[in-house]
Amino acid sequence: MRRVGLGIVGLGYIGNIHLRHAMKLQNARVTAVADTSKRALREASGIGVSAYSDYDDLMKNVNVDAVIIALPTHLHVDCALRAAEAKKHIFIEKPIAVNVPDAKKIVKSAQKNGVSLMIGYPLRFDPLFTSVKRQIESGELGDVETAFASYISSGPFFHRATGYAPVPVPEWWFDPRASGGGVLMDLGCHLINLLRWYFGEITDVKSSLRHRFNLELEDSAVCLASFGKRTKAVLNVGWFSQQYLLRVELFGSVKHVIAEHPPQNPLTTAVQMLTTATSKFFLPHLSELQYFAQCVGRDLPPSPSGEEGVRDLEVISEAYRNAAL
Amino acid sequence: MALAKLRGDSVEAIKEGVSECLQLINFEFRPSVQNIVVKPNLCYYWDYSTGETTDPRFVAATAELLREKISPGVRVTVVESDASAMRCKHVFKMLGYEKMARDWGIELVNLSEDENRPAEVTVAGQTFRFKMPKAIAEADLKINMPKIKYTIESLRITCALKNIFGCNPYPRKFRYHPRLEETIVALNKAMKFDLNLIDGNIVSGTSPRRLGLAMASTDPVAIDAAAACIAGINPRKIRYLKLASSEGIGSVEFVEKGEPLRHFAVAYPRKSLRRKLMGKAYNVAIRASLGRRLGLE
Repeated sequence: MRRVGLGIVGLGYIGNIHLRHAMKLQNARVTAVADTSKRALREASGIGVSAYSDYDDLMKNVNVDAVIIALPTHLHVDCALRAAEAKKHIFIEKPIAVNVPDAKKIVKSAQKNGVSLMIGYPLRFDPLFTSVKRQIESGELGDVETAFASYISSGPFFHRATGYAPVPVPEWWFDPRASGGGVLMDLGCHLINLLRWYFGEITDVKSSLRHRFNLELEDSAVCLASFGKRTKAVLNVGWFSQQYLLRVELFGSVKHVIAEHPPQNPLTTAVQMLTTATSKFFLPHLSELQYFAQCVGRDLPPSPSGEEGVRDLEVISEAYRNAAL
Repeated sequence: MALAKLRGDSVEAIKEGVSECLQLINFEFRPSVQNIVVKPNLCYYWDYSTGETTDPRFVAATAELLREKISPGVRVTVVESDASAMRCKHVFKMLGYEKMARDWGIELVNLSEDENRPAEVTVAGQTFRFKMPKAIAEADLKINMPKIKYTIESLRITCALKNIFGCNPYPRKFRYHPRLEETIVALNKAMKFDLNLIDGNIVSGTSPRRLGLAMASTDPVAIDAAAACIAGINPRKIRYLKLASSEGIGSVEFVEKGEPLRHFAVAYPRKSLRRKLMGKAYNVAIRASLGRRLGLE
C-alpha cells in the first residue's frame, strides 16, 4: 500500500490536533499545510512541510493526495469543491457544511471527480462506542427501546491559548451564518450520527432549544428522535457547563448498556502523553485519520461518508424546524 | 469593613444586604453625584453561577439603591474592558448584562473602545504608563464590584485590587503578567475607586458555593485582606497587598462590622493540602516548559 500524502487546510484548534496525529501515521505523511496565520505557517515550515497561505496553492501540490479540511464550517464548501476539482480525496471536519444544499454540492462534486469523501466523526472510532455497536448487532441487548445520549461541555467557550497566550473564541462561532447553528450543529451532529449508525434512519425529530447565554445560537437543546417504530432516543446537548460529559445509555429488552467517555484529566493526560505520546481522549481522532489514509491508499470508500454527513444535517434542519417555541 | 448575610438572590434581597453593609460603614451618599461607574468582575464567558463573575442582579440592586439614596436620575454605567481571551461585546450579552442594562436603565461601556488619555504612575520606583479611560476619569462615584477568587500561585487570591486590572483598556493583558503585582498596584494608585462592594453570594473557591455574602469597604486593601481571611489565607503573606499598603492605597488591618467574618470563613470552599500540592506541581511543570509536551496547557 502506498503512503498517502496529506494536506491540512486550517491550523486552528482541530487542525492542529489533526496535524499532530497525522505526523504519527504509518500509512500517510503530511506534505503540506495551508492557513492564513503567518505564525501557524512558520511553525509548520519548521517541521518540514510545504506551507501555503492560500489553499488553492496547496491543491496544486502533486505530493498531496488527500486534504483534511479543518476550516470554520462556512468555508468547508468552497475548499471541498476546489479539492474535488483538483482530484484530492477529502476528509472534512464535522459538520460537513452550514446547510444541506452546500453539503449536497460537496457530495456531488466528490462523486463527479471520483474522489473519496469522509466526515470527521471520531466517536465512530472510539472503542467505547464501537463496542456498543457490536452489542446491538449481536443481539446481546435485545430490542433497544430507548436511548439517552448526552454531550455537555463548554463547547467553543473553553479557555483557549496559543502557546502560553490566551486567545479569544474565534468570531465565526458567534455568527449563525458561519457556524450554521449552535450546539446542535457542533455537538448534536456527533450524537445524531452515532445513533443513526446504531439504529438506522431517524424518522421523526422534535426539539426544544435554549439560550442561556442570550446568543442568537442555541446553547442547549433536547431532542426526541424516533428510529422507525421501535427505538426512541433523547439527545441532550449543551455548551453551558464547565464539566465535560459524553454518555450514551441504551435500554434493551434483554440488557442495558452505558458508555461514558471520560473527560480529560490533566494528571492522567500527562501520564498517557508520557507513555504513549497521545492522550486517550484523542485516540479516536488518530484512528479516524489512520482509517481515512487506509481507505485512500486502498481505493476503498470511507465511512462516515459524505452522504451520512448530508443526512445528519437534514436531521438537524428538521430539529430546528420542529423546535418547540 | 462590613459584612452582611444575603437573604436570597433576588434584586430586592441583594439590595437589602448591600444597604445594610453601606449603613455599617457609614457610607456617604453625596447628593452632588450624577455619574456613577460600576466595575464588575467579568471573566471570560463564565456566568454568575460559577462564582467567577459578578451577578448582574448585584449591579442592578446597587444601582437601585443609589438611585433611591442619591437621585432617581443618577447615571449608572457598567465598565469592563476586552481581555486576552474575552471580548466585551460578547460577555455583556452572554452574562446577562445587556438584559440588565435594558431592564434597569444602566449603560454599558467597553473601556477598550472608550476615549482615553495617557496616564503615568510610579510604584516601588518603577514608572507605569497606561491609558486612563474617559468613563472612569469623569465619574464622580466609582464602585468596584469584585469576586473573591483563588488564582495563580504568586497572587494566591484576587478580589478588589485585582478587579481594577480590568480597567486597563489594553486588551492583551497577559503581557503584564511578568509584573502583575506592580501593575495591579499601579492601576489602583491611578484610578482610586470610592467604594468596594463584594458580590459573595456565590463564590468560586475550589468549587462554587452559595455563601450569601455582601461585603463593603472604602479601603480596597482592607477588604482584600478580609477576603483573604475568609478564603483561609493570611493576608500578611500576600505580597501585592503589602505593596499596595506601602504605596498608601489602604491598610491590611481591618475592623469588621456586621455579620462575623468567621461565619463565612467556615463555609468557604477552601483548598485542601492535596489540591495545594497539585497546584504547585502543575505550576512547576508549566514553568519547566513541560506543559505543551504533557498536554497540560
